[in-house]
Amino acid sequence: MYPLTYARARTLSEARELLAKHDEARLLAGGMTLIPTLKARLAAPSLLVDIGQVQELQGIEAKGDRLVIGAGTRYVDIARSALVKRMIPALAYLVSRVGDPQVRNRGTMGGSVANNDPVADSPAAVLALGATVRTERREIAADEYFKGLFETALAPGEIITGFSFPVPARAAYWKFAHPASGYAMAGAFVADFGGAVRVAVTGASSSGVYRWKEAEDALGRRFAPAALDALEVSPDGMSSDIHGSADYRANLVQVMARRAVDAIAAGR
Amino acid sequence: MTVNGNKVSHEAEDRTLLVEFLRDTLGLTGTHVGCDTSQCGCCTVHVDGRAVKSCTMLVGQANGAQVRTIEGMAEGERLHPVQQAFTECHALQCGFCTPGMIMAVAGLLQDNPSPSDEDIIHGLEGNLCRCTGYINIVKAVKQASKTIGGA
Amino acid sequence: MAAAFKGRREDRRLVSGGGRYTADWNLPGQLHAAFLRSDRPHARIVAIDAQAALAAPGVVAVLTGEDTLAEGIRNAPPMLPYPGRGGQPIKLPPRSVLATGRVSHIGQEVAMVVATTALAAADAVERISIEYSDLPAVIDAEAALAPGAPLAHPEVPGNVCFDFDYGDEARVKEIFAGAARITRVKLDSQRICGVPMEPKACLASYDAQQGVYDFWSSTQGITMMRGSVAGYGIAPDKVRPRAQDVGGGFGIRSGAYPEYIAVMIAAKKTGRPVKWVGSRSETFVSDHHGRAIRLSGELAMDEDGHFLAARYEWVCNQGAFPSGPGPLINTVTPKLTPNGVYRIPAVYGRNRLVLTNTTPITAYRGAGRPDAAYLLERLVEEAARESGIDRVELRRRNLIPKDAFPYTTPTQSAYDSGDYEALLDEVLARSDWEGFEARRAEARARGRLRGIGCAVFLEPAGGAGPKDQAMLKFGSSGEMTLYSVTGPSGQGHETVFPEVVGRELGVPPELITLRASDPDGPPLDGFGTVGSRSMGAHGGAALLAAREVVRKGLELAAKELEVAAQDLEFAGGRFRVKGTDRSLALVELARRHAGKGAVHPLDATADNAAGATFPSGAHVAEVEIDPRTGAVEVARYTGVDDCGVVVNHTLVEGQVQGGIVQGAGQVLGEHCVFDEGGQLLTGSFMDYAMPHAGLIGELRLYDHPVPSPRNPLGVKGVGESGTTGSLPTLMNAILDALRPAGVRQLDMPATPARVWAALRAAAGARQPPRG
Repeated sequence: MYPLTYARARTLSEARELLAKHDEARLLAGGMTLIPTLKARLAAPSLLVDIGQVQELQGIEAKGDRLVIGAGTRYVDIARSALVKRMIPALAYLVSRVGDPQVRNRGTMGGSVANNDPVADSPAAVLALGATVRTERREIAADEYFKGLFETALAPGEIITGFSFPVPARAAYWKFAHPASGYAMAGAFVADFGGAVRVAVTGASSSGVYRWKEAEDALGRRFAPAALDALEVSPDGMSSDIHGSADYRANLVQVMARRAVDAIAAGR
Repeated sequence: MTVNGNKVSHEAEDRTLLVEFLRDTLGLTGTHVGCDTSQCGCCTVHVDGRAVKSCTMLVGQANGAQVRTIEGMAEGERLHPVQQAFTECHALQCGFCTPGMIMAVAGLLQDNPSPSDEDIIHGLEGNLCRCTGYINIVKAVKQASKTIGGA
Repeated sequence: MAAAFKGRREDRRLVSGGGRYTADWNLPGQLHAAFLRSDRPHARIVAIDAQAALAAPGVVAVLTGEDTLAEGIRNAPPMLPYPGRGGQPIKLPPRSVLATGRVSHIGQEVAMVVATTALAAADAVERISIEYSDLPAVIDAEAALAPGAPLAHPEVPGNVCFDFDYGDEARVKEIFAGAARITRVKLDSQRICGVPMEPKACLASYDAQQGVYDFWSSTQGITMMRGSVAGYGIAPDKVRPRAQDVGGGFGIRSGAYPEYIAVMIAAKKTGRPVKWVGSRSETFVSDHHGRAIRLSGELAMDEDGHFLAARYEWVCNQGAFPSGPGPLINTVTPKLTPNGVYRIPAVYGRNRLVLTNTTPITAYRGAGRPDAAYLLERLVEEAARESGIDRVELRRRNLIPKDAFPYTTPTQSAYDSGDYEALLDEVLARSDWEGFEARRAEARARGRLRGIGCAVFLEPAGGAGPKDQAMLKFGSSGEMTLYSVTGPSGQGHETVFPEVVGRELGVPPELITLRASDPDGPPLDGFGTVGSRSMGAHGGAALLAAREVVRKGLELAAKELEVAAQDLEFAGGRFRVKGTDRSLALVELARRHAGKGAVHPLDATADNAAGATFPSGAHVAEVEIDPRTGAVEVARYTGVDDCGVVVNHTLVEGQVQGGIVQGAGQVLGEHCVFDEGGQLLTGSFMDYAMPHAGLIGELRLYDHPVPSPRNPLGVKGVGESGTTGSLPTLMNAILDALRPAGVRQLDMPATPARVWAALRAAAGARQPPRG
């Protein structure tokens, strides 16, 4: 790790002030991605602004018919939340499959979504559920938020404060874990809003999380596992590496989506 | 911060990791470093009651926190039930992963006192062992679960 | 019935954070080292500029290859006591501790910074600038054999550093020409990283007056470390290797790595202790790797399925430099057991050791044995498929019978003892082999491909040295210290060696404390903890030392009891006058004679000349494959093992469990991959798929001991046999699952992506694509 300065923000406004003062400042939430990156000397921020204990970023609540989760809420608290389990059990399940227990005890959905790693789980939930990404200055629709590999609609210095999720009639997430890292080789989040179906895929594409529109249309017409059978997933644009070819990942997309639909259909 | 019940206060470079602080500054070498990508779990300690990887936290993030390491698990001569179970089930060979493994298992059982086989495997995803093949580790988790549940 | 296992002597400290591994040691005034490593596979070093690094805060010294040459450090030769084909010796490229002139693989040590803190050293490494001129690199061993291939080293034309053969080439050729059936396979035993959980580290201090180094590292034994250091030109008596706890060995920690020598030189040059703690990333690229062998085999049978002859060819990637054990384990091991557990009248094998611009290869759990067993058991399996003879029946028909021991192989290696058919019978019964088809059908109904596979195997273990010594020294109150030159890394020597001595002397094992590889202890001969030899060699020596204590005790007790020695008997820890109740406890006798001189009269040293043993086993695995994802799940695994007399069942079982899962790691996911440009693609746990909990859920193991006559305890090696067995067992099961879908061939690792691709290719071959 290169030399840096660490500062802990107590409030959101303090975090904004600290960020504004330094050109090379970065936010530190759970640190589950950032700290390994710093250790590998792949980034050299001059200042780390720790927002891990900012109260305004914490919390899980039902607001009207939506579920609102603070960006700094730890995964473990989302996974165990009775409210999340009741309103969107698929989200609680997805979060329970992020990383490993130690990672879930520190990591936050805000950090993950801000980073937009193409193999992370959380972006699939945010996109498939059509959540609103809230920042300290505006609200961004999920469809406008994800801009490709590690790219988002966030402006420099903009801080995600939370997520507002509409509640689907039913939903499921299924992922195939990378044999070494445990990240998603392919993960499919399927959400049915009573006829309008949204399907988001993470892990497989070389340009990050995306909506699988053909699957949404097919499931919108008939919400059944077999509805996906006729769809061909093109390997174009899929990642390819020693762990799997683009063809393999294209296949996984189909299989994971189908299994998510299976799980919904079986009432699991 | 408080480490194993003792208040500690030291100056450290901002880029110091919690594990470096524990090992190099406090001399608590029972917490090990087995990788640099946050996957092996050898450095697992408890921060404010939760199992975390101390190689993936800056010491500043733990400022003011309650930290518990493997050295703080036994009560005097009496081993923690997880330490006892690891010993009796031969769940360690070289012992390098063991402190982190024990801290992770203690965290797991705190959250889920009677884990199923699947829960145990899921709960050990953040820890690697090269010697045991995990067979006896899973056995030890079950035994510790019984001891804790029966206590 | 043995007492219930209550834990090992080692465990109290290890579960409490009291273990002391290499990085846990610190010396007053110590400096810290960091290495600059090559970022290219093959290049000429044009210039090194270390000025900026030397000027960096906290930096005390920067060392390069020239500094190590100036210290008289030389190329460490491999252990290889025999020539190759046609009497040709091994060809060794020049190797220095820090690179001189050129770099030959990614990760090679090029320069070292020594600074007041580890962070300062790491910061300064980035300030060293090196000008390279790239040279053509060769990465794959078979590609390296092609005419006109780039040379890994100009000193080794053709890239073959050692060409070795064994057996009777002409006779085998003749038999093959007339054989009714010939089966051929070609397999890959892929490159593996050893990955002990403790990353590589060391600490050195130098006593200028004595000219002696104290040196802490993860070692597999003092004599091995001294021998290895001596290879670099530092006299063995000038090093005191030290270690308390070692976080895994697995063969890859059997010698001194270049970093160790560089750190020693730095301690000498700076006059201060120097510590180096490698990161996992460094360890992945610079710990010597294992396996990396292309295996070809042919088996000739008659009409009735009797094996007639076998022919093998191994192409062994040795990386950029032959390591200490690399050439040995890739040649002697297959020669010792060319026919495995079967009667095969004639064999011939040729093993070519090839240099490439990759990390060197060394011994890794099994060290050639898993490869040999994998090749032969895959051959036998294919021979059964091709001939239509049932795979169990074909094995049974060819097994060496139990009355054939000592059995001499066509290569003049003598197996000690065994009962292979009994192992096979037992494992078939224990695994419900007969009931398998119902389980296959049940899985098929769930959309899963279920397969079963078996292997019957043996391996050479132990031996490797004229003698091993152990010494028992008595303290003031009857307690004993047992000295031996083992290098334990989790096997439980501190527990089980005192058990051996305690049992022989009729005293509680707690009275005996093992000091393994203690440089301050008595000088002892022997070889370290490699090749699954410690129990037979060092444990045997401990037993003989205990017997020597009894012999001396009889003389001494006779004087105390005022009788003739031949009137005494020793049992239950007491010397007793035969036919009376007059007796004297050994512990009391020892107490009476303590403190009377420098040497206690009962102190005893023993020499043990343990020979090679041949542990064997029969294993059965059942796997289930998800054809849609290619994921392989090990549903159950059953092993019946003969590792001779079992001294401590729990520890033996732990060794076999660990060995099997380590083999399963190779079968299912582990793979160390260099790309064509020589870059390591699997340089962290993000890409190197380690076994996790649950890889093998249900593992049932059974002891089937047949004592070995080759050592005083009757034991056979056990540290590696699990790995040797699990490669062929699991791959036979996976292919059995895939065969109904048309897959005939698959190489390790059977990753989901590879299994899926194999299924898809087979499906494509059976039915033409749509449209």
